Amino acid sequence: TGPLPQSFLLKCLEQMRKVQADGTALQETLCATHQLCHPEELVLLGHALGIPQPPLSSCSSQALQLMGCLRQLHSGLFLYQGLLQALAGISPELAPTLDTLQLDTTDFAINIWQQMEDLGMAPAVPPTQGTMPAFTSAFQRRAGGVLVASNLQSFLELAYRALRHFAKP
Amino acid sequence: ECGRINLPTPTVHLGDPLTASCIISPNCSHLGPETQIVWKVGRESQPGKRQQRLEDGSQEFTVTIPRLSSPRVLLSCYLRWGHSLQMLDQAEVQAGYPPAAPHNLSCLMNLTTNSLICQWEPGPNSHLPTNFTLKTPFFWVPGSRGNCQTQEDSILDCVPSDGQNHCSIPRRHLQLYQNMGIWVQAENALGTTKSPQLCLVPMDVVKLEPPTLWALPPSPEAAPPQPGCLLLRWEPWKPSLYIEQKCELRHQPRLGEASWDLVGPLLSQTLQYELCGLLPSTAYALQMRCTRWPLPGQWSDWSPSLTL
Repeated sequence: TGPLPQSFLLKCLEQMRKVQADGTALQETLCATHQLCHPEELVLLGHALGIPQPPLSSCSSQALQLMGCLRQLHSGLFLYQGLLQALAGISPELAPTLDTLQLDTTDFAINIWQQMEDLGMAPAVPPTQGTMPAFTSAFQRRAGGVLVASNLQSFLELAYRALRHFAKP
Repeated sequence: ECGRINLPTPTVHLGDPLTASCIISPNCSHLGPETQIVWKVGRESQPGKRQQRLEDGSQEFTVTIPRLSSPRVLLSCYLRWGHSLQMLDQAEVQAGYPPAAPHNLSCLMNLTTNSLICQWEPGPNSHLPTNFTLKTPFFWVPGSRGNCQTQEDSILDCVPSDGQNHCSIPRRHLQLYQNMGIWVQAENALGTTKSPQLCLVPMDVVKLEPPTLWALPPSPEAAPPQPGCLLLRWEPWKPSLYIEQKCELRHQPRLGEASWDLVGPLLSQTLQYELCGLLPSTAYALQMRCTRWPLPGQWSDWSPSLTL
């Protein structure tokens, strides 16, 4: 696996499973309480709101590149941290689930950043959050929640396959 | 107000001397030609040491208790008035020791309450009201290299409920996968001290809840279990499904004094096990426990006994 310690990879895989479980919980609650069950019906709204989807090209099987994958993974997680923060005030029933998802996503980003520091490949200046979509209504926050959670799941699926590859002894 | 006790400090070291004074006001109308003061420590009279007149006309009567040997002393100043003693003032003096350094600090990450629960031993009694505070840095900071060096300005205080020697740090203050320094501070009127710092990663001290264990009834599709064998099935604790674990099984005949037989490790992906070597017509108690693995963690408690 090259320079990555096995324990780091195992932690990443564990964190990914946790964030995915948190994301699934958020999606299930949004579906149960607000009948928002199909992200594919919200594509137009997603464009209108300008919900970004971070690249993971260095983690794809065609161009698998460890350091690039780590950088993109961290940037993506950092972006999702911001998106989840922008969803604050989504609804009282969803708030605990959203908080857990955001805390676990933040922890995962920190774990990646710490490893990048240990490898001496962390940028000198920590990233700062760009402009986030403005969710101006309760519906937009909920629909945004569906889209962000769905995008995050796909993001993690790809990252999981890449890290599982790196984790093979 | 005729008289008032002055104490240099309300708290002193147990065994140290204490000097106090009783100030008699010049406008106290009950004074005779010669003011006589009687000191009492608890119920026992204590000879006064000296008396002097102050510039404002008040009189200062001083007493020295050579050695405070009780954690709590009531010091009273009486005026001799005719044939009676009149109490003018009373002061409570506390005596004790500076706090001992708390020790045996240990922590567990509890996924049910989603908090890091730490406990410690307070050390010998200081005889004084002592406040314990669990302390840890607030945030992980980029560039802190994930070690346990703490920046003093970002310390989180976890104050236990009264008299408790444990405290819980909620999830929102934790970075579950980063090193964190953690220690306990003890403080009373005579000083402050702290425990050695513990350096830990919260998830590496995670303690899971026990798994659920049950016996699989023989099924037509599957081959019947061998004689003396049992087909067992278990399920890890649901909130920990995202954590890779290993488990171990123990069993013992319900009757007699046989000790537990241990079987393991059983990896969390298998979920089924054929237990053999059992005595015929014998009731058995079976229990299982799990721990995070191969990443570090704490063993769960044993599951409730499955009796077969």
